Parts: sequence; C-alpha cells; structure tokens
Amino acid sequence: MSMSERKLTPDLFRPANIDTAKGEEITKPSLSFWQDAIRRLKKNKAAMLGLFAIVFIIVFSLIAPSLSKYGMDDQELMRANLPPKIPGLEKIGFLGVNGVDIRGVNQYEMKNVPAEDEFWFGTDVLGRDQWVRVWKGTQISLYIAFLAATIDLIVGVVYGGISAFYGGKVDNAMQRVVEVLYGIPNLVVIILFIIILDPGILSITLALVITGWIGMSRIVRAQILSLKNREFVLASKTLGSTNGRLISKHLLPNTLGAIIVTSTFTIPGAIFFEAFLSFIGLGIQPPTASLGALIADGFRSLRIYPHLAIYPASIMCILMISFNLLGDGLRDALDPKMRR
Amino acid sequence: MLRYIIKRVSAMLLTLLIIATITFFLMKLLPGSPFNNQEKLSESQRYALNEKYGLNDPVPVQYINYLGKLAQGDLGYTFQFDGRTVNSLIANGMGPSATIGFEALLFGTLVGLVLGIAAALKHNTFIDYGAMVMAVFGIAIPSFVFAGLLQYYVGVKLGWLPVAFWNGPEYHIMPAFSLSVGVIATVARFMRTEMLEILGTDYILMARSKGISKQAVIIKHCVRNSMIPIVTILGPMAIGLITGSLVIENIFAIPGIGEQFVKSINLNDYPVIMGTTLFYSFLIILIILVVDILYGIIDPRIRVAGGKS
Repeated sequence: MSMSERKLTPDLFRPANIDTAKGEEITKPSLSFWQDAIRRLKKNKAAMLGLFAIVFIIVFSLIAPSLSKYGMDDQELMRANLPPKIPGLEKIGFLGVNGVDIRGVNQYEMKNVPAEDEFWFGTDVLGRDQWVRVWKGTQISLYIAFLAATIDLIVGVVYGGISAFYGGKVDNAMQRVVEVLYGIPNLVVIILFIIILDPGILSITLALVITGWIGMSRIVRAQILSLKNREFVLASKTLGSTNGRLISKHLLPNTLGAIIVTSTFTIPGAIFFEAFLSFIGLGIQPPTASLGALIADGFRSLRIYPHLAIYPASIMCILMISFNLLGDGLRDALDPKMRR
Repeated sequence: MLRYIIKRVSAMLLTLLIIATITFFLMKLLPGSPFNNQEKLSESQRYALNEKYGLNDPVPVQYINYLGKLAQGDLGYTFQFDGRTVNSLIANGMGPSATIGFEALLFGTLVGLVLGIAAALKHNTFIDYGAMVMAVFGIAIPSFVFAGLLQYYVGVKLGWLPVAFWNGPEYHIMPAFSLSVGVIATVARFMRTEMLEILGTDYILMARSKGISKQAVIIKHCVRNSMIPIVTILGPMAIGLITGSLVIENIFAIPGIGEQFVKSINLNDYPVIMGTTLFYSFLIILIILVVDILYGIIDPRIRVAGGKS
C-alpha cells in the first residue's frame, strides 16, 4: 500500500479558514408558513387535480347554459328522450354521442329534429335540453357548497371564537346551546322547515344555517382554548395588546389552517346533503332541478335512456371526489402532523 | 363516572324534549284537522271524533297529554291506514331496516379493517395506494349513485342478483353492500392512520426486539391497540347508516322504516313523519350517548379531557 508509506508532513496542511458569519448565512430564501404550505400543496398531484376539476366545473356551470339556445324549462314533446349528440365526436362510436339510442335507432332522424338542433347531453322526458339542466343543477350544488363554506366561516368561527376567547359563563351558556343543537339530527331540522315552508332551496338553506356551523365552532373553540394559554399570547398581552389585536394578529392566523381544512370537508358533506334530499324528493322541486333530482329522474329510466342519469351522476361524483382530494391535500399541506 | 353519565343523560332528555315540543307546536300550526276533509261527517260526529282523539281540549292540555303519551312510547295514529298506529308501522319496518343496517355495519367494518391493516403493513406500496384510492372513492361517491349503478349492472345487465324487493337472503346482498361502502372507506382510512402511528411506537420495537414473532406483534399489539379509537367513529357511522338506509331502502324497495318515511313525506302523513323523526332522533342521540360512555370506560383520558372542556 503506497498510501500508508507516504509521510504526512505538516506543510501538506493548511489552516481551515473558518468564517463564523458564513456559517450563520441562510442559503435558501426563508419561506413563510403559507409559502411552505402552498409549495406542499403544489407538490400533491391529486389535490391539484381536484382543484383544477373544481375550477373547471365552476367555470363550465356558469358559461355552459348559455351555449344552448334552449332554456332550463323549454318543453317540446316532439323531441322528448333524444340521446346525446355532439357534432365532431359523432364518428367515435364508443363515446355514444352520435344521436343513436341503445336500440341502434337514430332518434334524431326518426323524430325529424332539425339538423341544426344538437343536444349534447340529450333531452329528457319532456324534451328539455339536458345539457342546460345538468349545468344549472351543478350551479345549485355549487351554491350549496358556497353557502356551507360561508356559514362555516362566519357563524362557526365567530361563535367558537367568542365562546373560547371570553370563556367562563359566556362559554358555558354558549356550549349548552351547541350541545342541544348538536343532538338534533340534520334530517329533523330540514323536515321541520319543509313542514313550515315548502321543500326547496330556501328550506335547505335555512337548515344549513341552523346546523351547518356546529362542527366548525367546536374546532375553532378547541383551537383557541389551547392557543389562549400559550406564552406568545401572554407575552403580547403583557406588552399591552388589545383584545382586537390579540384576535386578529395571534389567535386567528394560528387557527386559519384548521379553519380552511374543516371548511373544505364541510363542503362535500353539504353537497351530498342537498343531493340526498333532492333524491328522496325533499329538496329542489320541479321545474328547477339539482344534480340529485336529475339523478333520481334518470334512474327511473336507466334501462332505456341511460344518458339521463349518467351525466349528472358523473358530474356529482367528480365534484365530490375533487373536494375530498383537495381537502386531503390542504390538510397535509397546512397541518403535516395530521397527515393520514 | 356516574356524574358524567347523569349529566349526559339529562342533556339527552332535554334535547328530546325540545325536539318533541317543536314537533308538537308545528303540528298545531298546520292548517286543518285530520277530519276536515271528510265531508260526510255531521257536526256532532266531528265533535265526537275530536273528543275521542282529545282535539277539543285546550292546547296546553293537549301538549301535556302528548308528552305523557310520548313518555310511554306512544306516537299516535297514521292517516294512511284506518286505525293503525305509528308504532305499528315503525315496528313493521324495524325488521328489514335493522337487518340491513347490521349486515352493512358488520361487513363494512370487517372489510374496512382488513383493507386498513393491509394498507398500513404494506405502507407506500401499490396495496396501500389502491386501498386509499378506493377509500376516497367510497367516501366521495354518494351511496344512491353507487346503489343505482350496482342495480343496473349486477341486477339488470348481468342478472346475477334480484334487482329489488325483500324475499330472501339473496335480496340482502346488493342493498347491504351499497350501504356498507361508506363504512368500509371510513374504517379503512381510520385503521390505516392508527396502525401507522402504532407501528412507529417504541413498544412495538421493544416487543420485536424481545423476539416475539411479527404476526404476534401485529395481532396482539398493533391491531388491538388501533381498534380502541375506532369506537369514536361508530357514532357518525351509525348516523350515516341511518341516513343512507332512507335512500337505499327506496332504491331497492325494501319495506323498512326509511321507505315508509319517504312515502309518508310524499303523502303528507304528518303523524308518521313526526313519529319517525322523533324515533330517528332518539336513536341517534342514544347511539352518541352510548358511544361516549363506552369510550369513557375504555379510555379514561377522554373522560377527564371531556369533563374539563
């Protein structure tokens, strides 16, 4: 071994140049909590796919109804139960969008539909354009989603926040109310409203307003209770911060992660609740239709006209899966400890 | 512990009282009486009928009587059939509803446990990813969509199972399976998280280093300890099963409580709607109570934490 024979003389060594300042230098730009969370979210492919699908569905539900010249309830029995027909995609057989029904009859030719009339999702029993109805129904689901999130953010956060921040008697009284409301099932509240008012969007909205925020308020309360006693809050208080400053600068920003995650999981729950009610006939009433009502109608003639159920059901599923994926991604990004 | 139970039971009774009170006064607010639309009744006949059902008493007296009957479990009469009580309708529907709910819970929990354990043991392999993708779909896809598709493909196209009705064991498979999808997904996700956490603890490493075989450690230590917190999701799961059974029973035409309930809503049969609503509320509140008490017994830390907050 030539290596071991070699003499190590002192002139082979140089003193290391230790710059203490350099060791302290931060090589990467420091990321704030939110930048870090966004970076983690962007790396999560499933969550980004979900986000993309949600944005796509929102945009489409807004512009799609105006792409058809027919309205939501333009009936014409002459063109009832037409299968879907999309120009350009007609040649591709397996898509089933060439205007031919399951018996192989071209319904458009048989019913003498004018050539310029093309129903992309077909028509229903009364000859209404299913394309318009499906996207209008999606709007209702999205309205419910938006409503549930807003109630969560406004009522839930404020209620839970006040209850935890003031504590003592206030907390005690407010929690008794929550205990009673928590025990009353959603279904009971909606039925009570249906009996006083009528089934429809107003009853569902009111039922959500009354019961929707309870989960959020409990989570916010628990978070603020534990934050309230932490040292940084005490320090801020000692330095003379007002309550308003404590809430806006210390308590809320630290709860925001939990708030966002909770509301993304409230949304699919609310969408399902509305679809479920419409499905059993307690929700949106005709001539308006939500996705749940369209699916219920479609299932009645699933064997003969599968297109009536398939499109609303697919959009419903995509919407629900997307919100769930986004919620999972946000939870992983905002609260790595809760990772599942 | 006893104080905790007493506190919870009294809160439960208060909730039920509030629901019953709201229910009663809503019924009173509704226009008309059950005998208004029967034109042939003379004034005295109507009076006699009202007297029989106690409708001539002042409202506070009726309220007290209603609560008294409720305390004895009497929910009143249905409008749909002559002289039948709401109790008998619920009792008739109870059999199929309970059977299908129990089957779904049992099947769902078993499959969910197996999936969750497999996913945790084969962490970050395709088994794990496959199980979790299935779980996301199971949670996200509404049970009525799933039931409809199942009915169409397995029942109609393949013809393997009867499409609907309730005439024997083979009629249970599709409804119970559609109802159990949510349970499978919830249990699988929950079990996976718990298992992963416990697999990383020191006492598992300790048990392994003492020479206990891998299977014994997994079964005796991991699985048993992961199962404890599963009690917490039983409550929400039971509520999900009850809500789910409403649609599933309708899709598969099963003569259960849920089907009767939806039928009554469409027929405006208020006593049945109210009676079933109260019954469901009672059931849900009872389940939540039992789960909470059970959890307090299994894991005393929860009780202490719950008592403080």
